[in-house]
Amino acid sequence: MKNVLNILKTSWPFLITVILWRLNAYFWNPAGILALIPIFYYTFVKSTDWFVLFALIFCFLIDYRSGLPLFWTSLFCVFYAINGFQNYIDIPHMDKNAILIFMLFIGTGVFILMLSKFTWINFINNLWLFMWTSILYIPITALDKRIT
Amino acid sequence: MRKDKLSYKLTKIIKSVLAALAVPIFVIYILVAKPDYTLMNGLAHVVLPVAGFVGDIITWPVRAIGQSVDWVREMSNLRSENKMLREKLDTAMENKYSCDIALAENKKLEHELDVKRASPYATVIADVQFEDSVFHHDTFLINRGKKSGVYGGMVVVSFENRLVGVITDCGTHFCRVRALTDTDSNIAVRVVGSGVSGFLRGKGKSGATVGFFSDAQFVGRTGLKIITSNISGILPSGIYIGEMIDDTRVDVLKPNQNSRVMVLKYNDTDAYR
Repeated sequence: MKNVLNILKTSWPFLITVILWRLNAYFWNPAGILALIPIFYYTFVKSTDWFVLFALIFCFLIDYRSGLPLFWTSLFCVFYAINGFQNYIDIPHMDKNAILIFMLFIGTGVFILMLSKFTWINFINNLWLFMWTSILYIPITALDKRIT
Repeated sequence: MRKDKLSYKLTKIIKSVLAALAVPIFVIYILVAKPDYTLMNGLAHVVLPVAGFVGDIITWPVRAIGQSVDWVREMSNLRSENKMLREKLDTAMENKYSCDIALAENKKLEHELDVKRASPYATVIADVQFEDSVFHHDTFLINRGKKSGVYGGMVVVSFENRLVGVITDCGTHFCRVRALTDTDSNIAVRVVGSGVSGFLRGKGKSGATVGFFSDAQFVGRTGLKIITSNISGILPSGIYIGEMIDDTRVDVLKPNQNSRVMVLKYNDTDAYR
């Protein structure tokens, strides 16, 4: 039993990413975009071994299904590089699991996409996706603490 | 590994350099590979089915519960639906009798005139797997691919013969379809009843608009019907798209309005761009 729990704890970051990507839904989780939450959390806040490569694959899959060629993958690489080169902001020790940085990550992507093709309905839709992912960041990261 | 160790810091910097290097490589690739993205799509043809298969296994209980809820909801509507269907059946049976007579007569006439009926294109029926309407993009996956003889550039229509989208990328067992509302979608159309041609452009969640009319004096109005035109041979002509709802907007089919579609095996050397 203990072994099973250990395996679950170790594989949890990978499992939750696959689950959120696979459970895509037209309004609530288009193209599995909610998978960006564990991708961000387990890369920047709670670094997990080998997760970066996994995160890149799933960013790529989100991009493929969204019809955005390598957009989130590139943005992820940019954030990863910036985070690696600086030691001014200590993301793992920030309040509320660094939700502000996560909002910056998602917000930057949404803002670029919104500017590229602006209509009011798209603006509202993008705003909704930004708010929804930001809100869900709290329970999903809290769930991680309960499990691991 | 201790964070103050030199090896840790060095590893972190190397990883960051690699990530920073990846960005210009991606940008150059996007500029060079546009619009086919052969390498990216080829990679997706392997990674997507594998990730989908793993995801299917892991999320099986969740999806089973969701399916059960749908079934319960369907069952609760069954009684009223049954009553309605019986009424419809009675009317349909009456119509069928007169249709049978007309069909027999038609067959006889066809035989006499040696008329051969044939659909201009072979079709493949496919289920809509994922509706990936996100940001201003509207694409969806269907469960038929190269193995069923489906390729990029083919046209996807609903069972009412209404245009749904165009296939942009094809794997062995799946295809990605760009819906008409996708902002990258731009297709040649014609206004029924007038010789005017134009272009239908996707606007994301706002739907689709038609413009760039061949006749500069032409003004669109509510109720005009829009069909595909065969400019450059990119799409087959005459497929119904939708009705205009004002001077520019067109009521097109959205991906979430279809659970099953037909692929027209429209074969042309000009792939969809």
